[in-house]
Formats: sequence, structure tokens, C-alpha cells
Amino acid sequence: MHTRLVCRILALGLAAAPSMAGAQTPERPPIIAGCPTENLAWHTCALRRARSFTPPRTASGRPDFQGYWRSRLTQSFSVEGVADNHPFVKDPNERWDVGAPEIIEPADRKIPYQPWATRIGREGVNFHQYVDPRATCSTGGVPRLALQDPSQILQPPTDDHVLWLHEDHHQFRVIAMGQRPPVGQEVTTWNGVSRGRWDGTTLVIETANFNGYVWIDDSGNFYTNAARVTERLTMVDADTIHYQATIEDPTVYTRPWTVAWALIRDATPGGYELFEEACREGDRDLPLIREQGFKLYYGIPWRFR
Amino acid sequence: MRYGFVATIVGAALLTLAPDSAAGQTAAIPRMPDGRPNLQGIWQVLAPAAWDIQDHAPRLGVPAGQGVVEGNEIPYQPWALKRKQENFTNRATADPESKGYLPGVPRIMYMPFPFQIFQTPTHVAMTFEYAQGVRIVYTNGTPHPRGPIEWWLGDSRGRWDGDTFVVDVVHFTDQTWLDRAGNFHSEALHLVERYTMAGPDHLNYEVTIEDPKVFTRPWKMSMVFYRRKEPNVRLLDYVPALLMEEEQAAQERLKGN
Repeated sequence: MHTRLVCRILALGLAAAPSMAGAQTPERPPIIAGCPTENLAWHTCALRRARSFTPPRTASGRPDFQGYWRSRLTQSFSVEGVADNHPFVKDPNERWDVGAPEIIEPADRKIPYQPWATRIGREGVNFHQYVDPRATCSTGGVPRLALQDPSQILQPPTDDHVLWLHEDHHQFRVIAMGQRPPVGQEVTTWNGVSRGRWDGTTLVIETANFNGYVWIDDSGNFYTNAARVTERLTMVDADTIHYQATIEDPTVYTRPWTVAWALIRDATPGGYELFEEACREGDRDLPLIREQGFKLYYGIPWRFR
Repeated sequence: MRYGFVATIVGAALLTLAPDSAAGQTAAIPRMPDGRPNLQGIWQVLAPAAWDIQDHAPRLGVPAGQGVVEGNEIPYQPWALKRKQENFTNRATADPESKGYLPGVPRIMYMPFPFQIFQTPTHVAMTFEYAQGVRIVYTNGTPHPRGPIEWWLGDSRGRWDGDTFVVDVVHFTDQTWLDRAGNFHSEALHLVERYTMAGPDHLNYEVTIEDPKVFTRPWKMSMVFYRRKEPNVRLLDYVPALLMEEEQAAQERLKGN
């Protein structure tokens, strides 16, 4: 059973790729922007502090989120956290890493799965049978992209779009600001189709039209093509964004639920630029992973629907 | 009532057309707050350069096309012309497009898919529906990073020459082609692109191609990008490598059942 070991080493290889751009696996500092970094404590504290912070403005008067950002709080194996007595933590071949929950709501900090979906996401059916979609050079998806490698936000002064570029597999998200005609639900995409608006100094991004082919985290938690994600980005200080994402999917969950973490400005001396992270162009791992018997994930298997 | 409605439409059409024909090529172009031309929007080529950048007759599945190469001749070195002809013969399997890779520059500009331009004072970003390609063009005066670097879409640094946006691109791989007809380059490829608005909805694109390992002299292509005007148009996904995998998985599932 060293299958998973292979898979995880390969996954680590992918995660390590951008280190040539100067990225290091982030470690959780105890305090960010004057707030404790446990996700729920961070969430409460950061939003309180944000109320007394006047964010920098673009020339057109919008809160200015431009720059290079990376997550520092987290990278938990599961957004629910993994307790040290979790059965998979002790499995020598399929070990899950112990970590803190990223979910801040509901209060039990668990994904409110409908009963049928629990074992697929939380109890490892996805994890044990399928290749993590991110390891196939696709995308982390939403919100996982905002947890991974460096990203860059651009705000054209015409105020009609916000562009969120991610180094991870050269993914990008085009956020069209203001009212736009809806996109038919059959039009599905990896990172969804996003519309944005301003709520005070908060950038609100509403995204639908997902293909449902991504996982939410390393452990196989999931949503489907019926999901809608609402993200809220609020500046806490000049170098810190409070990020939260609320995920709704009436086909899988009993209620919406929310994750939150911090995005920290990259202050690399001498400046910083995103590198091209071509992935599938050099990918020799996927055939090896598939030889181990892992299947490709195209949404939850039809038999569970 | 109905006739009156038609008459109104015709009248409106005349009104809309008249200023255009009068103003000709000096039709106003959109501008950014800083006065630079505003290149933003969703654009797409119509010339069938993706199939063959040179003049070509129709083939099955290939629209006939007038080439986009200035003078139609590509100044290959003798060995390279032979290689181009081999590429053409073997194109079904030898074309990197058949593997679903990022198609390189300038090829990604004229794939038959839309792309979107974003503009700030320090960046021009291009995002592509095809293969989720991204080009970040720095307009902050920074130079290319020191090579050797082999990127699929190169490293782009831009500047304004009057109302023309000029982009210098280097640091390529030798793994990409210029079209589906086997035209190719090496990692020594150097591009100078010129983007000039020819009106609110037309963007002239000219690219000078220099590659001393493959060609005897620099040569040029030019074409027009057309603005996608549908009120609901959005950039979507076409990720060939992932679609190939999905197709393969579907076939395997069929066999398994």
C-alpha cells in the first residue's frame, strides 16, 4: 500500500515547484495584523480591526487590493481540521496531517454534509479512490486557489473588472464587476464564472457555473456543479486581507458554511513577479498515479447522485 | 405601426453608419483615464491563421485562408524548411497542440478562441480561454529577467509608442509551433508585437518574428482582432489537456461497464 505515499510525494513535488520563485511552505505565525491566527479567532479579530482601518484607494476611489498575496494561516489537510486522534493520522501509508480547522461557521466547524455525502467527503471515499484533481495539473478551484501559491490582484482603473492571477498552474479568475447577464447553468468551468461588487470597503465575489471537478482540500471534501461560492475580501491593514468564502450547495449540504483565513502581501525585497508554472506540459506523474489504481475525479461518481 | 417601426430602425442604422463612413479610420478609440488607448475587452481573431499562417487552399476541416505573413514567404534556413515540411506531413501527431499543451506565442493570439485584455498603469494582462493561458505584460519599465529561461508563453515587457502598445517577448521553449501546418521556431525566438486600435472594436496586431537559429532574417505577420460584442459574452474554459483526459476516462468507463 505505498500507493498513497507515491501520490503524496508527487503532490508535494507539485506544491514545491514554485519554490523557485522564492516561495516557501508557509508556517503559521502566532499573530498576524495584531490578531491571533487560529482561524476563528482570526476571523473575529480581523473583521473588528478592519472596521477602524481606512484602506488605500485606487485612482478611481475603490479599495486598492492590488499586489502579490499569499495565504499564511493554513494549508490544513482538511478544512474541518484533522485531530491527532483521527484514524487516518495513524495510518502509516495513508497518513493525514494533523491541522486546525479552517471552517469558522457552523459552530461545530464541520461541513454540514447531507448524510449520504459524509462518507464520500469526510470519510475518505474520494481520497482513497481518486486522484486529487489538483495533482492532475487542473486547478485548486475555489476557494482552494486562495490557499495556495502566490497570487496577484489587478484592478484596471476602469473599475469594470478585477483580475485575480494565481501562480498555481497559471490559473486566473476574471471577476466582472457590477450587474452582468447570468450565464446558463450548463456552461460549466473549472474556477466558475464570477461577478463582483463592493460592499463598503469589502470586495464581494459571487461565483457559480462550476464543473464540480475540484476538491475543496487535500482530503477530498467536495461540492458539485450546483455550488455557489460567495467570497469576501476585506483589508485589515495595508498588508493583510481578511478572506472568507461561503459555500452553498443544496445537493450536498444542509446549509451554507464558511471558511476564513488571511492573505498576506508579499514583500520580497526588490519586487516580485509571478512565474509561469506550466504543469501539464511536463507532467510525467499522472500516468504513475493512475497505474496505482487511482481514478480520475469528474465530480462525485454517478452512483452516489 | 409595423412599417413605422421598420422605418425607425432604418433611420437609426443610417444615423449610426454615417459618422463612421465620414470619419473613416479616425473613428474615436476608447481611452484609459491616463489617456492611453484602452485595449481592454474580449477579442478574437477571424483570419484562419490557426490552421496555416500562409496562403492555403481548403482541406477537409480546414477553411481556405489568405495568409497573415507579410509577403507570404517565411525565410527558413534550408534545414528548417525541410523540417517544416516534415512537420506538415506528420502534423496529426507531431503538432504540440495534439498534446494539449500551451501553444506558445504568437500562436495563442490567433487560436480560434476568445481572449481578454486587462490594463493598469503598470501591467497589461491577457487571459486566454484556450488552455487557461495567461500573459502578464509588465509596463513598469522593468527589463526581461536574465535567462536562460524556457517559458511556454515567454516573458513579455511592454511600452507605449504613441498610441501603439509594443511588447518585447523572449525566453521561449522550442516545443511550440506557429500553426497547425508545421511552421515552427526555436527557443531563440524573439518577438516584437505591436497592438494598435483601429477603431473602438478593431485591434490591429503586427508581430515581428526573429529567430537566428531557424530563419535567415526577421519577418512579420499581421492580423486584426475583433471585439466580441455579445452583451453576455464571458471568457470561459477550453482546457484541451483536461478535455482529452476526460474523454479518455469516459471511454474507459464505457469499456468497464
